[in-house]
Amino acid sequence: MLLELNNIFKWVTTGGQRIFLLKDINLQVEQGEFISVMGPSGSGKSTLLNVIGMLDTFDEGEYNFMDESVYSLKEKHRANLYKQYIGFVFQSYHLLDDLTVQENLEMPLIYKKVKGSERKAMVADMLDRFNIVGKKDLFPAQLSGGQQQLVGVARALIANPKLILADEPTGNLNSKQGEEIMELFKQLNEEGVTIIQVTHSEKNAEYGSRIINLLDGRMV
Amino acid sequence: MLKNYLKIAWRNLIKNKTFSIANIFGLTCAFAVAILLSMTALFELSFDQFHENKDNTYQLYLTSRTPRGAEVSTSNPVPLAAALKDEVPGIKRIARSLSEDALISYQEKDLSLDAEFVDADFFKMFTYPIVAGNAENPLPNKNSVSITEETAQKTFGTLDALGETIQVKIGGEEHPFTVAAILEDTPANSSMDFDIVIPFENHPEYESNKDQWNSNFFPVYLQLEEGMTTEQFEQNTRSFVNLHYEGSIESAKRDGATPDVNGRFKQLHLLPITDMHFVNYREGRAETARTFPYLILGVAFVIIFIVCANFINMNIALSENRLKEIGMRKTLGAVKKQLFFQFWMESVIVFLLSIGLGLVVSNLLIDPFKTLFNTKATFAEVTQPAIIGTFTLIIFGITLIAGGYPALLMSKLSTLRALKGKLDLGKNRLRNGLIVLQFVIAIMLISGTLVLHGQLDFMRNKDLGYNKEQVVSIPLNGRKDSYDVLELLRDELLKNPNILSVSGADNNLGLGKDGSLSSSAMGFDYKGKGIVTNALTVDYDYAETLDIELKSGRMFDREFSTDSLSLVINESMAEQFGEEDPLSIRIPMDDSVTYSVIGVIKDYNFQDVKKEVEPLTLFMNKNWDLYYAYVKIAPQNPASSFDAIKSAWEKVEPQAEFLGSFLDENVDRTFRREKNMATIITGGSILGIILSCLGLFAISMLVVAQRTKEIGVRKVVGASVSSVTLLLTKDFLKLVGLAFIIATPIAWYFLNEWLQDYASHVSLSPLFFIGSGLMVGLIAFVTIGSRTAKAASANPVNSLRTE
Repeated sequence: MLLELNNIFKWVTTGGQRIFLLKDINLQVEQGEFISVMGPSGSGKSTLLNVIGMLDTFDEGEYNFMDESVYSLKEKHRANLYKQYIGFVFQSYHLLDDLTVQENLEMPLIYKKVKGSERKAMVADMLDRFNIVGKKDLFPAQLSGGQQQLVGVARALIANPKLILADEPTGNLNSKQGEEIMELFKQLNEEGVTIIQVTHSEKNAEYGSRIINLLDGRMV
Repeated sequence: MLKNYLKIAWRNLIKNKTFSIANIFGLTCAFAVAILLSMTALFELSFDQFHENKDNTYQLYLTSRTPRGAEVSTSNPVPLAAALKDEVPGIKRIARSLSEDALISYQEKDLSLDAEFVDADFFKMFTYPIVAGNAENPLPNKNSVSITEETAQKTFGTLDALGETIQVKIGGEEHPFTVAAILEDTPANSSMDFDIVIPFENHPEYESNKDQWNSNFFPVYLQLEEGMTTEQFEQNTRSFVNLHYEGSIESAKRDGATPDVNGRFKQLHLLPITDMHFVNYREGRAETARTFPYLILGVAFVIIFIVCANFINMNIALSENRLKEIGMRKTLGAVKKQLFFQFWMESVIVFLLSIGLGLVVSNLLIDPFKTLFNTKATFAEVTQPAIIGTFTLIIFGITLIAGGYPALLMSKLSTLRALKGKLDLGKNRLRNGLIVLQFVIAIMLISGTLVLHGQLDFMRNKDLGYNKEQVVSIPLNGRKDSYDVLELLRDELLKNPNILSVSGADNNLGLGKDGSLSSSAMGFDYKGKGIVTNALTVDYDYAETLDIELKSGRMFDREFSTDSLSLVINESMAEQFGEEDPLSIRIPMDDSVTYSVIGVIKDYNFQDVKKEVEPLTLFMNKNWDLYYAYVKIAPQNPASSFDAIKSAWEKVEPQAEFLGSFLDENVDRTFRREKNMATIITGGSILGIILSCLGLFAISMLVVAQRTKEIGVRKVVGASVSSVTLLLTKDFLKLVGLAFIIATPIAWYFLNEWLQDYASHVSLSPLFFIGSGLMVGLIAFVTIGSRTAKAASANPVNSLRTE
């Protein structure tokens, strides 16, 4: 069992009324799964992903990640957990504009305190694997959207995470670029990486081994 | 990791060029100025700190109660030092020290030197190192002198001058002296400054005053034994004072003086030598006020504060553009500490860069700075490990606060908020607070500048009671008898139609180029009442030369042979006598001689302009030397008349340097302190306002950028350019208004305190404050308005498209 959500609730209070963002979510994710989260806008897809990724908190319930209770962890430990096991891919890539492709890839390793020589080797590997060696010295703004997302995925992968969380990874891409990214995900999943993706597209959802549908914060 | 941070920091600096330059420029200016100012202040504070015995060495002063209140004198009679050491326990060493100009000659050379007549213990108490010669006692016998290296070089052309003989003119006669030791030049931060040291017994007044207790004319310094406190010592001196000052204590009692809390009419006090440079005597006690150096430090601090406030404001405002980075870094595993360190380091880089540049700039500016502020401060003076250490610590502290606060703010943001690019900084309270403080400082500095200049102008234009524009005063520093010199000058000059008259006196008006100031006072009994007056010996034509108005009677006249027993007094003096007809006053002095008052002149500022005019008596006695000549010239062609005086002088006294100067220059020279203060405050306020505006400009730029959409929407619905400009500018002007309200009472209080030091001063009119408030408001308006007007006049279609 990679992670387990039991009776997770999350809400905001406006005007004395609770508005539920997540309502009684129960989810078990096994190692090697490829899960697609679907649902209309505002159904809580991204919130769920953020909670799983520990970027966001929840108000009630229990979340165990690799048999550790996330709720009780301090920030530092939480950061340790996710920098070791989780990689993020965002719809709008979120690459750092001031860093080159190579430096962007390097950054998670820096925070993981990987040594310089090892870092170089891992970055070189990753560049090689994604066929972007020629672009290593370019800045994000000099790349196409598809290429940027490629770098985004590469960055998510570089620290050898067990889980990749992708929030509409193809949302800003055209269909051909989107397809390439999905193929890549599929391949990664076959290599053993667990993936949870949020998507609007039925077609992309099909890549997953399991589909979760959300509506108004509830699993349906 | 460090490399990565550095890279990011550098790229960010390049990306935000305008702000980086504004920040670095501001910080550099501020640091350069702060370095120079602190250097000056530290130099001032280092005065007399180099003496190894500074902790138990003191200057002696006597507080006397008189009917007018307590008065202080640092001048002492000749027998006092020896008697004090014999009769009062606790004195380790004691030395008399009298500073006077002395004319020395060696072969064909004549030099006017700054001489110090001292006792042998002087060198054991004070630290004036000996370079060559008798290190144990630099004045082994009565006929030996010690000279500084500079003097040796000037006199002999070499430092190897031990054993040479020079002639020193003492009391009109030349005496031979042997050079027994060569001293290091006196440091610039020494209150006592001399070229040559002569044994005290050689002073011309020494013999005649050997046993006189009522002739006071020099300071006395003493070193206390270990464990003796000043209070204890001061108590010990009481019976000594009762014994030796019996006569004057009696007359003080008789005249109705009130004793001090201890029931005493005269009390000896000690002033630590490290306080000598800062002392002010007020109501009988020494007050040491290190206001000036601390004021300078204050200005330096305030300037640093202004730029730091800019830095914090700009950094926080700019961080909005980096929210995505912060969020991203957090999702990649950065923790608070790492983010804090990253952002803090970026600030440190900017600070280090600015400090480095500031050091370079201050090094380049040091020479003009020294001339401008009239200071002898050097880097060497302040580059001691302790000071450098403190400085580093302070800089570290500043960087920690200025760089650390924005860093803390950013590192605290939650990941999701950061990723969404929303920054909520609590209504900009900190930003506004800092801006208000900046402007409070600016307004205070500007009103200080206005009042200071107002007071300077006031003193400059004040009617001093004499003609300062048309009179040249010349220090009589030559070898001839002063009355002969005056006669010779008259002969030379009165042929010239542009020279109106020539006279002389034993004191200068204002501060001449010889840099010497003296005062002479005396007291006597008149009809059972003690009278104290300043005394001045003058030559014929004194009032005429200086255009001093005669109220009644006459001035000294060549027609009257008895004028050496005549007195001319000023109005304050006449008032003190309380006689209906001052011309009837006869004063018996020294048993046999009786002086009579022949004239009353109008009060004129014969002393410092800052003081009230005190009672003054003019004497006319050929046996008393004169030290200054006064020459009155016609209003036309002052420059050529001045040259004529100079060439006449060179004819009369070919070997003495001509140090003549117009009296208005002399008066101006007495304002040196005020002028220094005015320059520093003016400089500080100009820099302060420029830097504040720099910050304001940057902030308004960012605010405009953040409100681009709002501006667009407002314009689309029909707002005019001016209304939008006003809307954007209003918020900032409110802050300036608030600053004005806060600054005015504070500035008023301090300026009022300061003006109390002046007997007559400008009235503190509200115009000073309104003026400075308006000035700051206007400058701020132009600064922000230029930015907001541009934004307001942009095409709304463009600004809306950016969303």
